[in-house]
Amino acid sequence: MKSIRGPHSIKTILSIAIAVVSISFTLLVSAILYTQFSSTIRENATVSTREIVRQVNANLNFYTNDILTIAGYARDLAKQTNDLPRFEIEQRLRSIVDSRQDIVCLVLFNLEGEAVLSTSDAKLRSAKEIKDQTWFTRALGGEGNFYFTGPHVQQLFTSSYPWVITYSQQISYLDEGGETKYGLLAIDMNFWAVSELCQNARLGSTGYVYFIDNNGKIVYHPYQQLINSDLFNEDLDAVQEHIFGTFTNTFEGRERLVIVDTVNNARWRIVGVAYMDELMSGLDQYTSVMFLVLAFCIIITILLSRTVSAYISRPIRELERLMNSVERGDFSSPPTVGGNQEVAALSQTFALMVGRIRQLMDDIVKSQEMKRKFELDALQAKINPHFLYNTLDSVVWMAEQNNTEGVITMITSLAKLFRISISKGRDIITLSEELEHVRNYLIIQQIRYRDKFEFSISMEAGMENLPTIKLIVQPIVENAIYHGIKYLQEMGHIDIKVFKRKPGAVVIEVRDNGVGMDEQKLSNILSYEGPHHKGGAGIGVRNVHQRIQLYYGSDYGLEISSELDEGTLVRLVIPEQVPIHPIKVASS
Amino acid sequence: MKRVLLILLITTLLLGCSNKQQDQNKTYRIAVITMMQGGEFWGALKNGARSARSATGSVLEFLAPVNESDYEGQISAVQRAIDQQFDAIVLSPSHYTRLEDVVAKARSKGIKVVFADTSLMNVHPDLSITADYQAIGKAMAEHAFSHFAEGEPIKALVLGSMPNTSSMTAIVEALAANFAKKEGAAIVNATYSFTDEAIAKDITTSALASDPSINLIFALEEYTAHGVANALKENQKVHFIAFGTTQYEIQLLEQGVIDALVVVNSFNLGYRAVMAAIDLLNGIKPIEKLVDFDLVTKESMFSEEHQRLLFQTLQ
Repeated sequence: MKSIRGPHSIKTILSIAIAVVSISFTLLVSAILYTQFSSTIRENATVSTREIVRQVNANLNFYTNDILTIAGYARDLAKQTNDLPRFEIEQRLRSIVDSRQDIVCLVLFNLEGEAVLSTSDAKLRSAKEIKDQTWFTRALGGEGNFYFTGPHVQQLFTSSYPWVITYSQQISYLDEGGETKYGLLAIDMNFWAVSELCQNARLGSTGYVYFIDNNGKIVYHPYQQLINSDLFNEDLDAVQEHIFGTFTNTFEGRERLVIVDTVNNARWRIVGVAYMDELMSGLDQYTSVMFLVLAFCIIITILLSRTVSAYISRPIRELERLMNSVERGDFSSPPTVGGNQEVAALSQTFALMVGRIRQLMDDIVKSQEMKRKFELDALQAKINPHFLYNTLDSVVWMAEQNNTEGVITMITSLAKLFRISISKGRDIITLSEELEHVRNYLIIQQIRYRDKFEFSISMEAGMENLPTIKLIVQPIVENAIYHGIKYLQEMGHIDIKVFKRKPGAVVIEVRDNGVGMDEQKLSNILSYEGPHHKGGAGIGVRNVHQRIQLYYGSDYGLEISSELDEGTLVRLVIPEQVPIHPIKVASS
Repeated sequence: MKRVLLILLITTLLLGCSNKQQDQNKTYRIAVITMMQGGEFWGALKNGARSARSATGSVLEFLAPVNESDYEGQISAVQRAIDQQFDAIVLSPSHYTRLEDVVAKARSKGIKVVFADTSLMNVHPDLSITADYQAIGKAMAEHAFSHFAEGEPIKALVLGSMPNTSSMTAIVEALAANFAKKEGAAIVNATYSFTDEAIAKDITTSALASDPSINLIFALEEYTAHGVANALKENQKVHFIAFGTTQYEIQLLEQGVIDALVVVNSFNLGYRAVMAAIDLLNGIKPIEKLVDFDLVTKESMFSEEHQRLLFQTLQ
């Protein structure tokens, strides 16, 4: 199976690796911090809320104790009716009630509902009406039995309707006749005084405190009005399940912290409700700040990972670019790259390798050139055995004819020809030597072909000692004779001219009036690809061309133009170089 | 390109955070415009509004003329609320046509308008919170009939407060409809006191003088009820059903002068109207529910439920 996506770059891999590691780490740390912080806030909120509820409860406790103390005092006084007149007792009680705004009145009833002692002069309702009220019936049942009502409208006096909480207790008192009787002591407290204790408690911004009795019925609730109209619901079931303590639950979509505590004296429980989202509002702020910091960190991480990976991968990229250029064959640029240690070392090794390759390639080129030169030189040095055989055959024939002069000319020319051919093993000879060589060749051929052609050789003055590679003209001339002149009926002409051509070139021009060549033959003659007839025209000519180019470069070589039945013009072009000395031929 | 994206991301984040905080801290300014400054009914309504304020942390301003009959004063109060660019207006229109222009103007300025108790004839608010006055009228008539033996002739006098309010019109219509169905029952006269105790007393006195057979009186507002009660004082023959929760009325109920008190939970009117206004401003659909009412008699006045309803402003 092949992966659909190609391999990723080092930069991408590094970027992603750094980013993933750093971001995961940041997220992990944030998560831990968040959890820690949120649980701390939660704990603190719970503790402080519980403390507030406890404080409210303590205040209430303090308050009810106060009421109990007053009740105790009243109870004592009720037993002193023998010692003190009723009016005196009432006066003492009234001074207490008057000193406190929160107490509406204190009344002692007998069990029939008639007032025995009262701190108020207002007209009381009928005994029957009073006897039926809850606070009265619930406190009956034995001496000391007491009861706290929830908030209700006072129904003791006609035409007066304050909201009160009633404390009632069954006590014994001495009636005017000195007889001990049971009675019911009632103290009415202003409801606002009690509710203020609760309303001052701030649980978050909209949290509140309420009270329930031992049956789980609401005694006091700040949102009683709303509860009555079904605009507000209280989660009484959950409170019933948790008799005492702290718990959190979700009610109507909001998480609430609920604290339940028992109230001393009254058979009530206090319930504090705080909304978690309000208590945790500090966390919101912390969260948004943390999100900002987190986002900032992630962005910085991404940027940093990009920068670092770019820094690491840039030299590798550079190296890759260099390798590509080397691959395309460009060995010239020095392949060194800076950057980190590993890549620099790699680059250095690569540079060494490229240098070595370049050197090896140069060596190969050089050795190949040398090899070709040797080959061509060897080819050139080879003397056509037919030429030698024919020449010697001609010499024998002339000797038989007693043509002594001819024999001498022939042998002399042959000797000169070979001397120049050998020329002490040198490759470079002077132009005059080269021309001398070809002259001797032509003399021999002229004799052999019995004056079938004429020739002329001319050279501009002062060019005699200019250097040339040797034996380049002879093959051209040989070609002119064998393939041009030989087939002529009339007298052939071979004219050789040597002259200078600007800039810095020397031209050896060989012109014949032979049969010439057609276009195709002409175009083939210098190319390697052309058809090669064994011993056919062209091999010698091409060798000359190649030798000149090997020695002097591709700017030089042969220029050939030819026309059928008109003749051929061959120009050998070589560079003009510093003159050299001719070979000092050993004296014969 | 990537950098630009990253900067955008940061900006969005920052804006998101600041926006969130703005939303949380948004406090709305709401004008609560009742028909008049005093009165138990309006006092309870204002208490309800205050309760809603505590729950939401909004800012309330109470605006009202001194007298219910001063609808011009109410128009200028609404105008003032528009000028001061309140976010919402809770209004109990004291005239069902005259306030139409100014209410339309407020709404056109994008101010949310919630009607509490009464409404307008042609211009509709964003929401209306009210009690079912048709049902109240029916309940009053049925309770009144229960005081009479079958076939006994019933002659009733109806005294409202303001002639041009939707609540008065609805109750009077309902009473008339129920009287029409009852054999031997008739409404002798239906008139208005303009929330003036003295006028109510005079009307009652002269009505009883001109037609001594009147044996039932409905007073549809607390001040009017006080006037009627003052006129009735010694006359125990006439059955009397009144609106309101004043201490005087409660005493009269205990004394038997008033047979039944009709109590509309105006605390709820105020609370729900303000809550609805805030919901509307927050783009939440408010709860649509009629405000509860009850008929309280001497026997039931101290029941737990009625205590809270009847003595709500005395708490």
